[in-house]
Amino acid sequence: MEELILAAAPCDLSESAVCAPANVNELFEFRETVYFVFGLPITRTVFLIFLVAAFAIALFYFGLRKRSTQPGKFQLAIESLMTFVRDDIAIGIIGPTGIKYYPYLLSLLIFILIGNVFKITPFINLPVTARMAIPLFLALLTWVIFVFAGFKRNGFSYFLGIVWPPGVPAALKPLVGVIEFFSTFFVRPFSLAVRLFANLVAGHVMLTLLLTTAFVSFATIGEIGLVKGAFGFAWWALGLSIFMFEIIVIILQAYIFTLLSAVYINTSVNAEH
Amino acid sequence: MEELSGAIALIGYGLATLGPGIGIGIIAGNSVQAMARQPEAAGMVRTAMFMGIAFTEALALIAFVLFFLT
Repeated sequence: MEELILAAAPCDLSESAVCAPANVNELFEFRETVYFVFGLPITRTVFLIFLVAAFAIALFYFGLRKRSTQPGKFQLAIESLMTFVRDDIAIGIIGPTGIKYYPYLLSLLIFILIGNVFKITPFINLPVTARMAIPLFLALLTWVIFVFAGFKRNGFSYFLGIVWPPGVPAALKPLVGVIEFFSTFFVRPFSLAVRLFANLVAGHVMLTLLLTTAFVSFATIGEIGLVKGAFGFAWWALGLSIFMFEIIVIILQAYIFTLLSAVYINTSVNAEH
Repeated sequence: MEELSGAIALIGYGLATLGPGIGIGIIAGNSVQAMARQPEAAGMVRTAMFMGIAFTEALALIAFVLFFLT
């Protein structure tokens, strides 16, 4: 049997204005049906990850299939996106050596962008990046890349430059070193993941609460009366205007994740010594 | 005397939004000023602005996550 993803608690609009669940943690419980395809457990989230990958591959395949010198609209859009990532993010932030990290940054941007767009896609309405596992995995990938790039470029002096920073008075070096060590190796991936996750969850929860409240008050307008029904209309209008706002958040967060990945790679590739 | 009830985490989250809110305001305001003074540097300023906002915003977002965790 298929269970509802969001099992909202029964809510009485004659008592409260907003249809909030008794415990917000209810929204984060994984009540997903598991289908077994060839022995692999597939949930809704896993299915959506594969859908994101399929969309990304299709985008580039159909966008760059012909590669004509007089590009059509679709090819032009894909090419300007790629040029933007290459010139503004990879080379603009990291410098000429940044072209090496350009494929990673481009796939990161596309994956996060399509995953985020699922938040406002009708009938899906679930951003895959709002499951902590996915932003955390992407952040750890960036972490592995920038730590490896630092060690490969500067050898052990990369690590030494962090825990024993040059240009700091000797008395302060242990303190600054400890702070820098934690901020580089622990806070960076954590904040990178939490930033993406929390932005999307905040929007997701907001949309869910507002639109569910509106739906419930429209459905029970006969019982709660017209005055409270009008409140439902206000929630609905607010929910739809937040929909517009979420489009900005979706694009901006994909951009910021990619940008910060580039900035972190830059700090280890072009470390000051 | 009536008793107050509710989640104290909400107050914590509210407090945690103050600092980042002011910080983002300062960043955005100064970026607009910089862009107005030197429109040809707008691209560079915008990138730096988003980066600054992202770093500042992280504090509020961590508070938001902790609000759910508690």
